[in-house]
Amino acid sequence: MTDSLQSMQIPAVDSPRKLLLQLKGIVKEFAGVRALKGVDFDLREGEVHALMGENGAGKSTLMKIMFGVQPPDAGTIEVAGHGKVDIDDPRHALALGIGLVSQEPSLVPQLDVAQNIFLGKTEALNVVKRDQFQAKAREILKPLAPRLSVTTRVSSLGMAELQVVEIARTLARGAKIIGFDEPTSSLTPAERDGLFTLIRQLKSSGHGIIYISHRIPEVYAICDRITVLRDGKVVANRATSEVHPDELINLIAGRRLAEELQHHAKSGAGRDGPEALRLEAVSATGKLRDINLTVRAGEIFGLAGLVGSGRTELVRCIFGADRKDSGTIYVNGKPLDIQRPSDAIAAGIALIPEDRRKQALIPVMDVERNFGLANYGQYAPSGFLRLKQRRQDTERYIEEMAIRPRRAGVRIRNLSGGNQQKVIIARWLQSGARILLFDEPTRGIDVGAKFEIHELMRRLAKDGCALLVISSELPEVLALCDRVGVMREGRLVHTIDDCSGLTEDLLMKFASGEVARL
Amino acid sequence: MTNDRVPRVSTPAEVPAAPGEKKVSLEWIRSASVLAGVALLFIVFSALTSSFYQPANLLDILLQSSINTMIAVGMTLVVMTRGIDLSVGSVVGLSSMIAASLLPQNLLLGIAAGLLVGVVCGLVNGLLIAKLKLPDFIVTLGMLSIYRGAALIYTDGKPIYGIDPTFRAIFAGDLAGIPTPVLLALAIAFLAFLLVRYTALGEQIIAVGGNEEAGRLAGINIDRVKICVYAISGLLASFAGFVLIGRIGAAEPIGGTGFELQAIGAAVIGGASLFGGEGNPLGSLIGALTLGAMQNGLTLLNVPSFWQLVATGVVVILAVYADQATRKRQ
Repeated sequence: MTDSLQSMQIPAVDSPRKLLLQLKGIVKEFAGVRALKGVDFDLREGEVHALMGENGAGKSTLMKIMFGVQPPDAGTIEVAGHGKVDIDDPRHALALGIGLVSQEPSLVPQLDVAQNIFLGKTEALNVVKRDQFQAKAREILKPLAPRLSVTTRVSSLGMAELQVVEIARTLARGAKIIGFDEPTSSLTPAERDGLFTLIRQLKSSGHGIIYISHRIPEVYAICDRITVLRDGKVVANRATSEVHPDELINLIAGRRLAEELQHHAKSGAGRDGPEALRLEAVSATGKLRDINLTVRAGEIFGLAGLVGSGRTELVRCIFGADRKDSGTIYVNGKPLDIQRPSDAIAAGIALIPEDRRKQALIPVMDVERNFGLANYGQYAPSGFLRLKQRRQDTERYIEEMAIRPRRAGVRIRNLSGGNQQKVIIARWLQSGARILLFDEPTRGIDVGAKFEIHELMRRLAKDGCALLVISSELPEVLALCDRVGVMREGRLVHTIDDCSGLTEDLLMKFASGEVARL
Repeated sequence: MTNDRVPRVSTPAEVPAAPGEKKVSLEWIRSASVLAGVALLFIVFSALTSSFYQPANLLDILLQSSINTMIAVGMTLVVMTRGIDLSVGSVVGLSSMIAASLLPQNLLLGIAAGLLVGVVCGLVNGLLIAKLKLPDFIVTLGMLSIYRGAALIYTDGKPIYGIDPTFRAIFAGDLAGIPTPVLLALAIAFLAFLLVRYTALGEQIIAVGGNEEAGRLAGINIDRVKICVYAISGLLASFAGFVLIGRIGAAEPIGGTGFELQAIGAAVIGGASLFGGEGNPLGSLIGALTLGAMQNGLTLLNVPSFWQLVATGVVVILAVYADQATRKRQ
């Protein structure tokens, strides 16, 4: 980090500042699963408090409770000046001075900056009062981004500017407590430094900041205190200066990670396997540029990069979910014209998408039907279902993959994320897929199931499947992948054949373009 | 695992009894409230009139509900894909006019032409919705007007009198003392039930309504499924048209006007969700009977037919509200 970053590291403040927010004993259950098991969290004036933890540890659930998206099942929330409160919805949270800058800015692209900042105030759209609101917007933006014009249409702004507008909007509503959810996931390092300057300004003006991130260097650069969640419990609440980064990693991942890394002997076997998937000069306007890539049978190839770098677009393109404009995809050495997902499926390709709920599951259907969804060719060759056969196969996978509960007739939405993911993988194994495209395979999955999924993926590679795996978590990349490709702005900018020396920082530098090659 | 290979009708008991599962009880409340409503309807009408519960009247309710049942079954399949078919009433009018005009030449020709018209009307709806990605509501609302216009143009607005007696015996006669429309409606509802439970298309209908994108990414041909349900809806509307002209003994170009609301009402009362993915053709039979019983009871109570329209609208909106209130919380 730069010098300026270090200079702001105020020595741990001993004189306790005023509490802005205090949560005690927060419990939240989903369909009988405890996502939060009695969590305490507090935030003081002029403090940046990091909330860390793996996907599925309970960070987002806690955030949702703080910002009124979901009510807690038990526990209390106290807000300075308001006492104990029940936060009904995000509007109410804002009225209490709690605002969230979400990962994906929720702005209206057709409106200009000032209108977006005052979105929800109908007068802001009123032509007569426009000047008034533009002046107010300018005032709010002045310390944040003096060069940003308030009359610019939001649709023409970049990611960093969108974030600034979102922050300004939160401030315009008088928020004293501002939450940032993975704010840097789509920012370049320069934009990130700009954001940090901004957060420091907010801090010095007495705002309290909750900073959610899994990027350890960032947390050390900007945060005063760290709370780590694991499996729905607080495992640490300490001043940043008191925690060593190695210790932090252990706190976040638990001992399991170390064990898994040890356990995973890099075989390198994949290198010798026959070519399973090859892309030649694959391009899609505005999304992908000239991608060349080979994945061999038995190999796990990782795809790293910032959010929006084109990783998801690439796997969707291979699968035929989106169109490519030029280039050729070879499967087992033969060029293949993939127009739609069914073409890819017929060629033995499977996509396990990032957003299971939206893209992989039929929530109203049971496990058995979700399992059979890509396999009507097998289970209904004449149009009539072979229910007995499908039920037997489902039960076999339930046993083999330890899917819980062990019932084929349960609606899939009642399963945990990890078990849902197993059903999706089972679906594709039954379809005979040998090339599996995984997009963030363990997002939203609790730690235990995560390792089961990793184990399963390694077993698939061992059996000769080719795996292309998108992951934003370095530990996952290190634990799984034989090779890693880094994407930036729709290009595959670098391929790393030996992952042993890989660090998060180095990967970020490739992803952002700071370093072109090793 | 229990020894049931037979796919089971979704009952509350089947869902895992995990503690604190609100979804289960909501679904249960929903089914129970429909049954309670039907029971209440029967009790009230039986108490207020002396003739409501007489077997002859109950059979009459079945007969009166048969046309709506046929249309509602098709509507249920459409609604299960998260679509809607507002053109059914006009398809009833157009297909029955064309059938009636050809019946004098040849019985089979008339039937075949009528059914073909129904299927083609549905195919056009489906193609516009699936291939051109036009909103179902607007397409079928436009087609409601086009098909009705076509029916009026066809005979210059004049009705066709004198329907073939054999045709009337088939579609509006009696078999062993039971009216054939009732038998036809039951058969159609049952076949549609089998379609949903035992065929790939049936499951794909649920998949499209439950999560279209997930279905597409699992390789399901979404367009084909959509086109199929609209074609089936058109086909069943033409069947309903046959019963209509069979019973009346004449075909009018305005026949079937307003049937779409009745069908949507029956589908939703019967458990089809406008949010897609859920519904049961046998449920739409119950829904049609509920509406039929209500209208029958109101008639026996001498409530003017204008007020019956109001009552039908109220019941349909209430049913949709109940659907929304129970599904959204999931």
